[in-house]
Amino acid sequence: MPSVAELSQSLVNGVGIGLIYGLIAIGFSVIYNASGIVNFAQGVFVMLGGMFAHTLLTSYGIPIWLSAIISTVLVAAVGVLVQIFVINPMWRRNAPLFAIILATLAVQLLIEQVIILTLGDRPRTYPEFTAGGPLKIGTVAIPYQFFWVLGVGALLVFALTQFFNRTRMGRALRACAQNREAAALLGIPVERMLIVAFALSAGLGAVAGILITPTQYTAYLIGTPFGINGFIAAIIGGFGSPVAGLVGGVLLGVIQSEAIVFFGAGFRNIISLTVLLVVLMYFPKGLFGGLEKKA
Amino acid sequence: MSADTTHLIAVKDLAASYGHIEALRPTSLHVAPGEFVTILGPNGAGKTTLLRAITRLIPSKGQITFNGKDVSGLKTHDLAELGIIMVMEGRGLFGEMSVRENLQLGAYKLSGSPADMNRRLDKVFTLFPRLKERIDQMSSSMSGGEQQMLAVGRALMAEPKLLILDEPSLGLAPRVATEILSTLGALNKEGLGILLVEQKAPLALKLAQRVYILSSGSVRAELPTHEIKSHHDLARYYFS
Repeated sequence: MPSVAELSQSLVNGVGIGLIYGLIAIGFSVIYNASGIVNFAQGVFVMLGGMFAHTLLTSYGIPIWLSAIISTVLVAAVGVLVQIFVINPMWRRNAPLFAIILATLAVQLLIEQVIILTLGDRPRTYPEFTAGGPLKIGTVAIPYQFFWVLGVGALLVFALTQFFNRTRMGRALRACAQNREAAALLGIPVERMLIVAFALSAGLGAVAGILITPTQYTAYLIGTPFGINGFIAAIIGGFGSPVAGLVGGVLLGVIQSEAIVFFGAGFRNIISLTVLLVVLMYFPKGLFGGLEKKA
Repeated sequence: MSADTTHLIAVKDLAASYGHIEALRPTSLHVAPGEFVTILGPNGAGKTTLLRAITRLIPSKGQITFNGKDVSGLKTHDLAELGIIMVMEGRGLFGEMSVRENLQLGAYKLSGSPADMNRRLDKVFTLFPRLKERIDQMSSSMSGGEQQMLAVGRALMAEPKLLILDEPSLGLAPRVATEILSTLGALNKEGLGILLVEQKAPLALKLAQRVYILSSGSVRAELPTHEIKSHHDLARYYFS
């Protein structure tokens, strides 16, 4: 039986990684809600966020805060390019959704190959945003980067909630999610809204990647595991709102972390995938019922 | 086709297909400024297809001019910006949004001041006072009649030049349907051009000035409503 200290430490670790999953889950939700598309290239935006930030920091000597901003903008631009050159042509030809979803998978593989050719396959990392640490509370060590993840995650969820509920564009995105034809009939440019969704989603992925790189590493292949975990988090929380995505992510992170403590590292994915199956069987709309809209 | 400024909207040889099935054969119609036109026809006649083709929700062939300008190549949202607003069959409400949010989205293209938004809201509330009572209620939780009022009210928020409606009385109690259609009649008297697809023929014929009879995907007749005296007349046109 693990000690209280071990459980507490794993809880902190789980919340930290869970917040990252949550940000990725929100990215999945934003595109899914605006279009019905599950963007399997979501994980690659996480990878790009860390890779770009690292390159700007180490190759060009740009401070980390500025590297983070530029990286987020660049990855958002990649998201826009994916929408314009891959998704939109298929969308206009009324391609089946599964074909578009497969195309996003191809985009992920393509971008990974481009990164190997241009930036190499070497894993890379950079220092935590705040030097020093960790903060010790009893036997529990909390890295300073955890507070950055927590703070940025909370801030982004707050900002996104305000955006979706209080701005004209946010409401228009929600309208597209609920009834694209009715939205278009009111003058909302649905295709442009989809571009906004991809930019937003890619930017969120980039932020997740930038935040997690100091505590782990980034490399061309991290997109897939982060993408899968973000997708599971989105299913657990439901695709309904930013808060649902973030809570889904934290739940998944904590479950994985505690699974390691209780059963060993080998059981991490077995437990989380079992949880996914249980959620799909008994809460097919997610714990917060977000998928209801699409049903 | 030369610029046609006598018609608010003119549709010429509009045709649409679903795969290999020709749902709408080349069809022409027009609505004059301030005119109330209704389209009648049996189920499967192509009425909804016609409206969806006009508003570019489905691809179509043919020409559409609006206020004399060729708008055939425009997208649905561009047509809305010009003032062609449709209340779709099934209402098309954003069910997870409140009445207020639905109405605000109706004025999506509005770049004016909050005062302008409030003026539009007040006008809608004058027509449908129940919407004001339900302002913060989720639209999905309202009755069918209230939802239809919201759908029409939302369309009016855009201050359309041409209001297109696809069976607004579908599934409503007769009293509520009459109330909504009468409101449309009042709006038309204020100068709003209306193109209405409606199953409740007697009510539609009472309000409209002109009628198109659609059957098997093409227009069978176009005539002033006063020339239709009975159901028998309609049936004759439907199946002629």
